[in-house]
Amino acid sequence: MIEFQNASYAHNKGYGLNNLNMSIDEGEFTFLIGPTGSGKTTLMRLIYFDIIPDSGIVKINGFSSPGITQKKIAMARQSIGMVFQDYKLLKDRNLFDNVALPLHVLGFKSSEIPDRVDEALDLVGLEGKEGHYPYELSGGEQQRASLARAIIKEPDVLLADEPTGNLDPVSSFELVRLLETIHETGTTILMASHNYNLIKGRGRQILELKNGQLRIR
Amino acid sequence: MDKFFYLITEGVKNVWRHKVTAFTAMFSLFVALYIVGVLATAGNNAHKILYYLRSKYKIEVFFKQDVSNEQAVGIIHKIKKIEGIRSATIIEKEDAIRIFKDQFGENIEELLGYNPLPASAVINIERNRRDQLVIETMIKEIRKIKQVDEIRYQGNLINKIERNFKKMMDYFPYASIVIILISILIIYNTIKLSVYSRRDLIETLQLIGASRTFIKFPFVIEGVLIGAISAILVAPALLFSVNAMNYVISRFSSFNIKISYDPMILFWMLVTVVLIALIGSYRAASGFLK
Repeated sequence: MIEFQNASYAHNKGYGLNNLNMSIDEGEFTFLIGPTGSGKTTLMRLIYFDIIPDSGIVKINGFSSPGITQKKIAMARQSIGMVFQDYKLLKDRNLFDNVALPLHVLGFKSSEIPDRVDEALDLVGLEGKEGHYPYELSGGEQQRASLARAIIKEPDVLLADEPTGNLDPVSSFELVRLLETIHETGTTILMASHNYNLIKGRGRQILELKNGQLRIR
Repeated sequence: MDKFFYLITEGVKNVWRHKVTAFTAMFSLFVALYIVGVLATAGNNAHKILYYLRSKYKIEVFFKQDVSNEQAVGIIHKIKKIEGIRSATIIEKEDAIRIFKDQFGENIEELLGYNPLPASAVINIERNRRDQLVIETMIKEIRKIKQVDEIRYQGNLINKIERNFKKMMDYFPYASIVIILISILIIYNTIKLSVYSRRDLIETLQLIGASRTFIKFPFVIEGVLIGAISAILVAPALLFSVNAMNYVISRFSSFNIKISYDPMILFWMLVTVVLIALIGSYRAASGFLK
Protein backbone atom coordinates (compact mmCIF):
# COMPACT_ATOMS: atom_id res chain seq x y z
CA MET A 1 0.00 0.00 0.00
CA ILE A 2 2.75 2.46 1.03
CA GLU A 3 6.29 1.67 0.07
CA PHE A 4 9.61 3.50 0.25
CA GLN A 5 12.53 2.07 -1.72
CA ASN A 6 15.85 3.77 -0.93
CA ALA A 7 14.01 7.08 -0.92
CA SER A 8 16.06 10.17 -0.10
CA TYR A 9 15.08 13.76 0.04
CA ALA A 10 17.16 16.75 1.07
CA HIS A 11 15.77 20.19 1.83
CA ASN A 12 17.68 23.23 0.70
CA LYS A 13 19.13 23.65 4.18
CA GLY A 14 20.57 20.16 4.08
CA TYR A 15 18.36 18.13 6.42
CA GLY A 16 15.88 15.57 5.12
CA LEU A 17 15.51 11.85 4.74
CA ASN A 18 18.27 9.49 3.78
CA ASN A 19 17.89 6.20 1.94
CA LEU A 20 14.59 5.24 3.52
CA ASN A 21 13.09 1.78 3.13
CA MET A 22 9.74 0.88 4.61
CA SER A 23 6.48 -0.74 3.77
CA ILE A 24 3.02 -0.37 5.25
CA ASP A 25 0.51 -3.01 4.28
CA GLU A 26 -3.16 -2.53 3.56
CA GLY A 27 -5.29 -2.21 6.67
CA GLU A 28 -2.40 -1.44 9.04
CA PHE A 29 -2.42 1.26 11.66
CA THR A 30 1.09 2.62 12.01
CA PHE A 31 2.47 5.35 14.19
CA LEU A 32 5.40 7.42 13.09
CA ILE A 33 7.27 9.06 15.92
CA GLY A 34 10.29 11.22 16.19
CA PRO A 35 11.35 14.53 17.68
CA THR A 36 10.47 17.82 16.04
CA GLY A 37 12.55 18.27 12.90
CA SER A 38 13.26 14.59 12.51
CA GLY A 39 11.56 14.49 9.11
CA LYS A 40 8.07 13.16 9.91
CA THR A 41 6.34 15.84 7.84
CA THR A 42 8.85 15.35 5.01
CA LEU A 43 8.01 11.66 4.99
CA MET A 44 4.29 12.42 4.92
CA ARG A 45 4.74 14.94 2.11
CA LEU A 46 6.63 12.31 0.12
CA ILE A 47 3.68 9.96 0.51
CA TYR A 48 1.13 12.40 -0.87
CA PHE A 49 3.60 13.58 -3.51
CA ASP A 50 3.82 17.13 -2.26
CA ILE A 51 7.53 16.58 -2.76
CA ILE A 52 9.21 13.99 -4.95
CA PRO A 53 12.24 12.04 -3.67
CA ASP A 54 15.64 13.13 -4.98
CA SER A 55 16.45 9.46 -5.38
CA GLY A 56 14.66 6.19 -4.77
CA ILE A 57 10.98 5.43 -5.15
CA VAL A 58 7.83 6.16 -3.15
CA LYS A 59 4.74 4.12 -3.99
CA ILE A 60 1.20 4.45 -2.77
CA ASN A 61 -1.97 2.74 -4.02
CA GLY A 62 -0.32 1.86 -7.31
CA PHE A 63 1.02 5.36 -7.91
CA SER A 64 4.78 5.62 -8.10
CA SER A 65 6.91 8.75 -7.66
CA PRO A 66 9.27 8.55 -10.67
CA GLY A 67 7.91 10.76 -13.44
CA ILE A 68 4.54 11.26 -11.75
CA THR A 69 2.44 13.97 -13.40
CA GLN A 70 0.26 16.62 -11.71
CA LYS A 71 -2.82 14.81 -12.97
CA LYS A 72 -1.66 11.52 -11.43
CA ILE A 73 -0.80 13.32 -8.17
CA ALA A 74 -4.37 14.65 -7.99
CA MET A 75 -5.69 11.14 -8.66
CA ALA A 76 -3.42 9.63 -6.00
CA ARG A 77 -4.60 12.18 -3.45
CA GLN A 78 -8.22 11.36 -4.18
CA SER A 79 -7.64 7.99 -2.55
CA ILE A 80 -5.80 9.48 0.44
CA GLY A 81 -7.40 11.22 3.38
CA MET A 82 -5.25 13.79 5.13
CA VAL A 83 -5.36 15.39 8.54
CA PHE A 84 -2.97 18.16 9.50
CA GLN A 85 -1.87 19.80 12.72
CA ASP A 86 -3.29 23.13 11.52
CA TYR A 87 -6.55 21.48 10.31
CA LYS A 88 -6.50 23.32 6.96
CA LEU A 89 -10.23 24.02 7.15
CA LEU A 90 -11.52 26.76 4.89
CA LYS A 91 -12.41 29.68 7.11
CA ASP A 92 -14.96 31.12 4.70
CA ARG A 93 -17.11 27.98 4.60
CA ASN A 94 -19.22 26.31 7.21
CA LEU A 95 -18.65 22.81 8.46
CA PHE A 96 -21.01 21.27 5.93
CA ASP A 97 -19.25 22.89 2.98
CA ASN A 98 -15.81 22.01 4.35
CA VAL A 99 -16.65 18.36 4.85
CA ALA A 100 -18.52 18.08 1.54
CA LEU A 101 -15.60 19.47 -0.46
CA PRO A 102 -13.91 16.14 -1.31
CA LEU A 103 -17.22 14.76 -2.56
CA HIS A 104 -17.56 17.65 -5.01
CA VAL A 105 -13.97 17.04 -6.13
CA LEU A 106 -14.84 13.39 -6.76
CA GLY A 107 -17.97 14.40 -8.68
CA PHE A 108 -20.62 13.01 -6.34
CA LYS A 109 -24.25 13.82 -7.16
CA SER A 110 -25.45 16.74 -5.11
CA SER A 111 -28.38 14.66 -3.84
CA GLU A 112 -26.02 12.12 -2.24
CA ILE A 113 -23.86 14.66 -0.46
CA PRO A 114 -26.01 15.71 2.55
CA ASP A 115 -26.46 12.14 3.82
CA ARG A 116 -22.77 11.42 3.52
CA VAL A 117 -21.84 14.63 5.32
CA ASP A 118 -24.27 13.82 8.14
CA GLU A 119 -22.78 10.36 8.42
CA ALA A 120 -19.22 11.67 8.60
CA LEU A 121 -20.13 14.34 11.15
CA ASP A 122 -21.98 11.76 13.26
CA LEU A 123 -18.91 9.56 13.26
CA VAL A 124 -16.66 12.32 14.59
CA GLY A 125 -19.27 13.60 17.02
CA LEU A 126 -20.06 16.90 15.32
CA GLU A 127 -23.68 16.24 14.45
CA GLY A 128 -25.80 19.39 14.52
CA LYS A 129 -22.82 21.68 13.87
CA GLU A 130 -23.08 21.70 10.08
CA GLY A 131 -23.76 25.41 9.93
CA HIS A 132 -20.86 26.40 12.18
CA TYR A 133 -17.82 28.12 10.76
CA PRO A 134 -14.33 26.93 11.79
CA TYR A 135 -13.81 29.97 14.04
CA GLU A 136 -16.91 28.96 15.98
CA LEU A 137 -15.40 25.57 16.87
CA SER A 138 -12.81 24.57 19.47
CA GLY A 139 -9.43 23.19 18.41
CA GLY A 140 -10.57 19.63 19.10
CA GLU A 141 -13.75 20.15 17.10
CA GLN A 142 -11.83 21.66 14.22
CA GLN A 143 -9.52 18.67 14.15
CA ARG A 144 -12.50 16.32 14.18
CA ALA A 145 -14.02 18.33 11.33
CA SER A 146 -10.76 17.93 9.45
CA LEU A 147 -10.96 14.20 10.13
CA ALA A 148 -14.56 14.08 8.87
CA ARG A 149 -13.42 15.77 5.66
CA ALA A 150 -10.61 13.21 5.31
CA ILE A 151 -12.81 10.15 5.79
CA ILE A 152 -15.93 11.25 3.91
CA LYS A 153 -14.56 9.94 0.64
CA GLU A 154 -13.76 6.59 2.29
CA PRO A 155 -10.06 6.74 1.48
CA ASP A 156 -7.84 3.69 1.25
CA VAL A 157 -5.16 5.48 3.26
CA LEU A 158 -5.46 8.06 5.99
CA LEU A 159 -2.43 10.20 6.75
CA ALA A 160 -2.46 12.20 9.95
CA ASP A 161 0.46 14.56 10.40
CA GLU A 162 0.72 15.59 14.05
CA PRO A 163 -3.07 15.74 14.32
CA THR A 164 -2.87 16.19 18.09
CA GLY A 165 -0.18 18.86 17.95
CA ASN A 166 -2.57 21.67 18.85
CA LEU A 167 -4.90 19.68 21.09
CA ASP A 168 -5.13 19.22 24.84
CA PRO A 169 -4.47 15.70 26.23
CA VAL A 170 -8.16 14.77 26.44
CA SER A 171 -8.92 15.87 22.88
CA SER A 172 -5.74 14.14 21.70
CA PHE A 173 -6.75 10.90 23.32
CA GLU A 174 -10.26 11.15 21.81
CA LEU A 175 -8.84 11.77 18.38
CA VAL A 176 -6.61 8.71 18.51
CA ARG A 177 -9.62 6.66 19.64
CA LEU A 178 -11.53 8.02 16.68
CA LEU A 179 -8.72 7.04 14.32
CA GLU A 180 -8.82 3.54 15.80
CA THR A 181 -12.57 3.39 15.12
CA ILE A 182 -11.98 4.45 11.51
CA HIS A 183 -9.20 1.86 11.21
CA GLU A 184 -11.71 -0.83 12.16
CA THR A 185 -13.46 -0.16 8.84
CA GLY A 186 -10.32 -1.31 7.02
CA THR A 187 -8.63 2.02 6.38
CA THR A 188 -4.85 2.03 6.39
CA ILE A 189 -3.65 4.72 8.77
CA LEU A 190 -0.30 6.38 9.25
CA MET A 191 -0.20 8.88 12.07
CA ALA A 192 2.84 11.02 12.83
CA SER A 193 3.33 12.30 16.34
CA HIS A 194 6.11 13.41 18.64
CA ASN A 195 4.04 12.42 21.68
CA TYR A 196 5.16 8.91 22.50
CA ASN A 197 2.99 8.70 25.62
CA LEU A 198 -0.11 9.12 23.48
CA ILE A 199 0.61 6.15 21.21
CA LYS A 200 2.51 3.66 23.38
CA GLY A 201 0.76 0.52 24.51
CA ARG A 202 -1.81 0.47 21.75
CA GLY A 203 -0.43 -2.61 20.06
CA ARG A 204 0.31 -0.83 16.79
CA GLN A 205 3.43 -0.78 14.67
CA ILE A 206 5.58 2.19 15.63
CA LEU A 207 8.19 3.56 13.26
CA GLU A 208 10.76 5.88 14.73
CA LEU A 209 12.40 8.54 12.63
CA LYS A 210 15.65 9.99 13.91
CA ASN A 211 18.20 12.03 11.96
CA GLY A 212 16.61 11.04 8.69
CA GLN A 213 16.82 7.33 9.43
CA LEU A 214 13.89 4.99 10.13
CA ARG A 215 13.69 2.08 12.53
CA ILE A 216 10.91 -0.09 13.94
CA ARG A 217 10.41 0.46 17.63
CA MET B 1 -23.05 18.03 -14.68
CA ASP B 2 -23.41 18.37 -10.88
CA LYS B 3 -19.72 19.18 -10.68
CA PHE B 4 -20.04 21.85 -13.37
CA PHE B 5 -22.95 23.54 -11.60
CA TYR B 6 -21.12 23.28 -8.30
CA LEU B 7 -18.10 25.07 -9.77
CA ILE B 8 -20.26 27.84 -11.25
CA THR B 9 -22.13 28.23 -7.96
CA GLU B 10 -18.82 28.31 -6.09
CA GLY B 11 -17.58 31.11 -8.33
CA VAL B 12 -20.70 33.15 -7.63
CA LYS B 13 -20.66 32.30 -3.91
CA ASN B 14 -17.01 33.33 -3.65
CA VAL B 15 -17.96 36.89 -4.57
CA TRP B 16 -20.35 36.94 -1.63
CA ARG B 17 -18.02 35.04 0.73
CA HIS B 18 -15.26 37.56 0.13
CA LYS B 19 -17.40 40.65 0.02
CA VAL B 20 -14.67 43.04 1.10
CA THR B 21 -12.08 41.73 -1.38
CA ALA B 22 -14.70 41.58 -4.13
CA PHE B 23 -15.91 45.10 -3.36
CA THR B 24 -12.34 46.44 -3.34
CA ALA B 25 -11.65 44.72 -6.66
CA MET B 26 -14.91 46.03 -8.13
CA PHE B 27 -14.16 49.55 -6.94
CA SER B 28 -10.64 49.52 -8.44
CA LEU B 29 -11.99 48.11 -11.69
CA PHE B 30 -14.84 50.60 -11.67
CA VAL B 31 -12.46 53.56 -11.29
CA ALA B 32 -10.13 52.24 -14.01
CA LEU B 33 -13.03 51.56 -16.39
CA TYR B 34 -14.68 54.88 -15.60
CA ILE B 35 -11.49 56.73 -16.54
CA VAL B 36 -11.26 54.73 -19.77
CA GLY B 37 -14.95 55.43 -20.44
CA VAL B 38 -14.55 59.16 -19.86
CA LEU B 39 -11.51 59.18 -22.10
CA ALA B 40 -13.32 57.29 -24.85
CA THR B 41 -16.37 59.56 -24.57
CA ALA B 42 -14.13 62.62 -24.66
CA GLY B 43 -12.37 61.27 -27.74
CA ASN B 44 -15.71 60.52 -29.31
CA ASN B 45 -17.02 64.04 -28.68
CA ALA B 46 -13.88 66.14 -29.09
CA HIS B 47 -14.64 66.86 -32.75
CA LYS B 48 -18.02 68.32 -31.76
CA ILE B 49 -16.29 71.16 -29.90
CA LEU B 50 -14.11 71.82 -32.91
CA TYR B 51 -17.08 71.69 -35.29
CA TYR B 52 -18.93 74.08 -33.05
CA LEU B 53 -16.02 76.52 -32.97
CA ARG B 54 -15.60 76.21 -36.72
CA SER B 55 -19.25 77.09 -37.19
CA LYS B 56 -18.37 80.41 -35.56
CA TYR B 57 -15.44 81.14 -37.89
CA LYS B 58 -16.45 83.85 -40.35
CA ILE B 59 -14.64 85.39 -43.27
CA GLU B 60 -15.98 88.73 -44.50
CA VAL B 61 -15.05 89.53 -48.07
CA PHE B 62 -15.61 93.10 -49.32
CA PHE B 63 -15.75 93.61 -53.03
CA LYS B 64 -14.50 96.66 -54.87
CA GLN B 65 -16.81 99.68 -54.99
CA ASP B 66 -17.59 99.24 -58.69
CA VAL B 67 -18.74 95.62 -58.33
CA SER B 68 -22.49 95.43 -58.83
CA ASN B 69 -24.82 93.11 -56.96
CA GLU B 70 -25.14 90.90 -60.03
CA GLN B 71 -21.37 90.67 -60.44
CA ALA B 72 -21.06 89.88 -56.74
CA VAL B 73 -23.36 86.87 -57.17
CA GLY B 74 -21.05 85.55 -59.86
CA ILE B 75 -17.97 86.05 -57.66
CA ILE B 76 -19.66 84.25 -54.80
CA HIS B 77 -20.18 81.21 -57.02
CA LYS B 78 -16.41 81.20 -57.61
CA ILE B 79 -15.70 81.53 -53.89
CA LYS B 80 -18.00 78.62 -53.08
CA LYS B 81 -15.87 76.36 -55.28
CA ILE B 82 -12.77 76.94 -53.14
CA GLU B 83 -11.91 73.88 -51.08
CA GLY B 84 -12.91 74.16 -47.44
CA ILE B 85 -15.69 76.67 -47.94
CA ARG B 86 -19.12 75.50 -46.93
CA SER B 87 -21.30 78.50 -47.84
CA ALA B 88 -21.12 82.12 -48.86
CA THR B 89 -23.91 84.64 -48.38
CA ILE B 90 -24.08 87.83 -50.35
CA ILE B 91 -24.67 91.15 -48.66
CA GLU B 92 -25.91 93.44 -51.40
CA LYS B 93 -25.13 97.15 -51.39
CA GLU B 94 -28.70 97.90 -50.17
CA ASP B 95 -28.34 95.38 -47.34
CA ALA B 96 -25.14 97.13 -46.34
CA ILE B 97 -27.04 100.44 -45.97
CA ARG B 98 -29.57 98.70 -43.74
CA ILE B 99 -26.89 97.09 -41.60
CA PHE B 100 -25.10 100.44 -41.30
CA LYS B 101 -28.34 102.07 -40.15
CA ASP B 102 -28.95 99.28 -37.63
CA GLN B 103 -25.48 99.73 -36.18
CA PHE B 104 -25.03 103.53 -36.35
CA GLY B 105 -28.61 104.86 -36.61
CA GLU B 106 -27.87 106.90 -39.76
CA ASN B 107 -28.84 106.36 -43.39
CA ILE B 108 -25.50 106.83 -45.12
CA GLU B 109 -27.07 107.13 -48.58
CA GLU B 110 -29.23 110.07 -47.45
CA LEU B 111 -26.21 111.68 -45.74
CA LEU B 112 -23.82 111.42 -48.68
CA GLY B 113 -26.33 111.42 -51.53
CA TYR B 114 -24.93 108.10 -52.81
CA ASN B 115 -24.19 104.61 -51.47
CA PRO B 116 -20.47 104.30 -50.64
CA LEU B 117 -20.81 100.79 -49.21
CA PRO B 118 -19.60 97.90 -51.36
CA ALA B 119 -21.29 94.55 -51.85
CA SER B 120 -19.74 91.91 -49.65
CA ALA B 121 -20.01 88.25 -48.70
CA VAL B 122 -19.99 86.32 -45.42
CA ILE B 123 -18.22 83.02 -45.81
CA ASN B 124 -18.66 79.97 -43.60
CA ILE B 125 -16.10 77.27 -43.43
CA GLU B 126 -16.63 73.58 -43.94
CA ARG B 127 -16.61 72.35 -40.36
CA ASN B 128 -17.08 68.57 -40.52
CA ARG B 129 -13.56 67.57 -41.31
CA ARG B 130 -11.18 65.84 -38.92
CA ASP B 131 -7.93 67.28 -40.27
CA GLN B 132 -6.47 70.66 -39.42
CA LEU B 133 -8.00 73.52 -41.29
CA VAL B 134 -5.50 75.98 -42.75
CA ILE B 135 -7.42 79.19 -43.28
CA GLU B 136 -4.55 80.98 -45.05
CA THR B 137 -4.88 78.65 -48.04
CA MET B 138 -8.51 79.71 -48.50
CA ILE B 139 -7.68 83.38 -47.99
CA LYS B 140 -4.96 83.12 -50.63
CA GLU B 141 -7.46 81.64 -53.09
CA ILE B 142 -10.03 84.38 -52.35
CA ARG B 143 -7.38 87.09 -52.78
CA LYS B 144 -6.69 85.77 -56.29
CA ILE B 145 -10.13 87.10 -57.32
CA LYS B 146 -9.49 90.56 -58.83
CA GLN B 147 -12.76 92.11 -57.62
CA VAL B 148 -11.96 91.40 -53.97
CA ASP B 149 -10.94 94.52 -52.09
CA GLU B 150 -10.62 93.50 -48.47
CA ILE B 151 -10.85 90.31 -46.40
CA ARG B 152 -11.52 90.33 -42.69
CA TYR B 153 -11.10 87.22 -40.52
CA GLN B 154 -9.79 86.21 -37.11
CA GLY B 155 -6.70 84.48 -38.45
CA ASN B 156 -4.69 84.28 -35.25
CA LEU B 157 -7.54 82.90 -33.18
CA ILE B 158 -8.54 80.33 -35.79
CA ASN B 159 -4.96 79.18 -36.23
CA LYS B 160 -4.49 78.87 -32.49
CA ILE B 161 -7.67 76.76 -32.12
CA GLU B 162 -6.81 74.54 -35.07
CA ARG B 163 -3.18 74.10 -34.00
CA ASN B 164 -4.03 73.22 -30.41
CA PHE B 165 -6.77 70.83 -31.43
CA LYS B 166 -4.41 69.05 -33.79
CA LYS B 167 -1.79 68.82 -31.05
CA MET B 168 -4.39 67.36 -28.69
CA MET B 169 -5.55 64.85 -31.29
CA ASP B 170 -1.94 63.86 -32.04
CA TYR B 171 -1.25 63.03 -28.39
CA PHE B 172 -4.65 61.53 -27.69
CA PRO B 173 -3.94 57.99 -29.02
CA TYR B 174 -0.69 57.76 -27.01
CA ALA B 175 -2.32 59.05 -23.84
CA SER B 176 -5.21 56.64 -24.37
CA ILE B 177 -2.85 53.69 -24.85
CA VAL B 178 -0.96 54.57 -21.65
CA ILE B 179 -4.18 54.95 -19.64
CA ILE B 180 -5.68 51.78 -21.08
CA LEU B 181 -2.46 49.86 -20.33
CA ILE B 182 -2.44 51.17 -16.77
CA SER B 183 -6.09 50.18 -16.42
CA ILE B 184 -5.36 46.70 -17.75
CA LEU B 185 -2.52 46.36 -15.22
CA ILE B 186 -4.79 47.55 -12.40
CA ILE B 187 -7.54 45.12 -13.42
CA TYR B 188 -5.07 42.25 -13.83
CA ASN B 189 -3.33 42.86 -10.52
CA THR B 190 -6.58 43.40 -8.64
CA ILE B 191 -7.79 39.99 -9.81
CA LYS B 192 -4.40 38.52 -8.98
CA LEU B 193 -4.49 39.94 -5.44
CA SER B 194 -8.00 38.61 -4.96
CA VAL B 195 -6.76 35.13 -5.92
CA TYR B 196 -3.63 35.54 -3.78
CA SER B 197 -5.74 36.24 -0.71
CA ARG B 198 -7.18 32.76 -1.10
CA ARG B 199 -4.08 30.70 -1.72
CA ASP B 200 -5.02 28.58 1.34
CA LEU B 201 -8.11 27.46 -0.59
CA ILE B 202 -5.94 26.48 -3.55
CA GLU B 203 -3.58 24.57 -1.25
CA THR B 204 -6.42 22.73 0.50
CA LEU B 205 -8.11 21.83 -2.78
CA GLN B 206 -4.84 20.47 -4.11
CA LEU B 207 -4.34 18.36 -1.00
CA ILE B 208 -7.83 16.93 -1.41
CA GLY B 209 -6.97 15.88 -4.94
CA ALA B 210 -8.83 18.50 -6.96
CA SER B 211 -7.78 18.78 -10.57
CA ARG B 212 -6.26 22.04 -11.79
CA THR B 213 -9.42 22.83 -13.75
CA PHE B 214 -11.57 22.23 -10.68
CA ILE B 215 -9.43 24.70 -8.72
CA LYS B 216 -9.21 27.38 -11.41
CA PHE B 217 -12.78 27.36 -12.70
CA PRO B 218 -14.48 29.14 -9.74
CA PHE B 219 -11.73 31.78 -9.73
CA VAL B 220 -12.35 32.44 -13.41
CA ILE B 221 -16.13 32.69 -12.84
CA GLU B 222 -15.51 35.01 -9.89
CA GLY B 223 -13.09 37.19 -11.86
CA VAL B 224 -15.41 37.43 -14.85
CA LEU B 225 -18.34 38.26 -12.56
CA ILE B 226 -16.41 41.01 -10.76
CA GLY B 227 -15.23 42.42 -14.10
CA ALA B 228 -18.71 42.31 -15.65
CA ILE B 229 -20.39 43.92 -12.60
CA SER B 230 -17.78 46.71 -12.59
CA ALA B 231 -18.27 47.36 -16.31
CA ILE B 232 -22.05 47.35 -15.95
CA LEU B 233 -21.84 49.80 -13.03
CA VAL B 234 -19.76 52.13 -15.18
CA ALA B 235 -22.72 52.54 -17.59
CA PRO B 236 -24.98 54.62 -15.29
CA ALA B 237 -21.96 56.50 -13.91
CA LEU B 238 -20.87 57.46 -17.39
CA LEU B 239 -24.41 58.36 -18.42
CA PHE B 240 -24.77 60.50 -15.33
CA SER B 241 -21.45 62.25 -16.04
CA VAL B 242 -22.46 62.95 -19.65
CA ASN B 243 -25.82 64.36 -18.55
CA ALA B 244 -24.15 66.46 -15.85
CA MET B 245 -21.65 67.76 -18.39
CA ASN B 246 -24.44 68.63 -20.82
CA TYR B 247 -26.28 70.44 -18.04
CA VAL B 248 -23.17 72.45 -17.11
CA ILE B 249 -22.50 73.34 -20.77
CA SER B 250 -26.07 74.41 -21.45
CA ARG B 251 -26.43 76.27 -18.16
CA PHE B 252 -23.08 77.96 -17.69
CA SER B 253 -21.61 78.36 -21.16
CA SER B 254 -22.58 79.81 -24.48
CA PHE B 255 -21.57 76.66 -26.33
CA ASN B 256 -24.33 74.93 -28.16
CA ILE B 257 -22.90 71.44 -27.89
CA LYS B 258 -24.51 68.23 -26.71
CA ILE B 259 -22.11 65.52 -25.61
CA SER B 260 -23.33 62.10 -26.62
CA TYR B 261 -22.77 58.72 -25.08
CA ASP B 262 -21.97 55.81 -27.33
CA PRO B 263 -23.25 52.45 -25.96
CA MET B 264 -20.57 50.71 -28.03
CA ILE B 265 -17.95 52.13 -25.65
CA LEU B 266 -19.60 50.23 -22.83
CA PHE B 267 -19.90 47.09 -24.94
CA TRP B 268 -16.19 47.11 -25.77
CA MET B 269 -15.27 47.88 -22.19
CA LEU B 270 -17.37 44.95 -21.02
CA VAL B 271 -15.80 42.60 -23.55
CA THR B 272 -12.28 43.80 -22.71
CA VAL B 273 -12.67 43.66 -18.95
CA VAL B 274 -14.25 40.21 -19.08
CA LEU B 275 -11.36 39.00 -21.21
CA ILE B 276 -8.75 40.54 -18.91
CA ALA B 277 -10.51 39.16 -15.83
CA LEU B 278 -10.72 35.74 -17.45
CA ILE B 279 -7.05 35.65 -18.40
CA GLY B 280 -5.98 37.36 -15.16
CA SER B 281 -7.83 35.01 -12.83
CA TYR B 282 -6.81 31.95 -14.82
CA ARG B 283 -3.15 32.92 -14.81
CA ALA B 284 -3.20 34.01 -11.17
CA ALA B 285 -4.79 30.76 -10.02
CA SER B 286 -2.30 28.82 -12.17
CA GLY B 287 0.53 30.78 -10.55
CA PHE B 288 -0.44 29.62 -7.08
CA LEU B 289 -0.83 26.00 -8.09
CA LYS B 290 2.17 23.86 -7.32
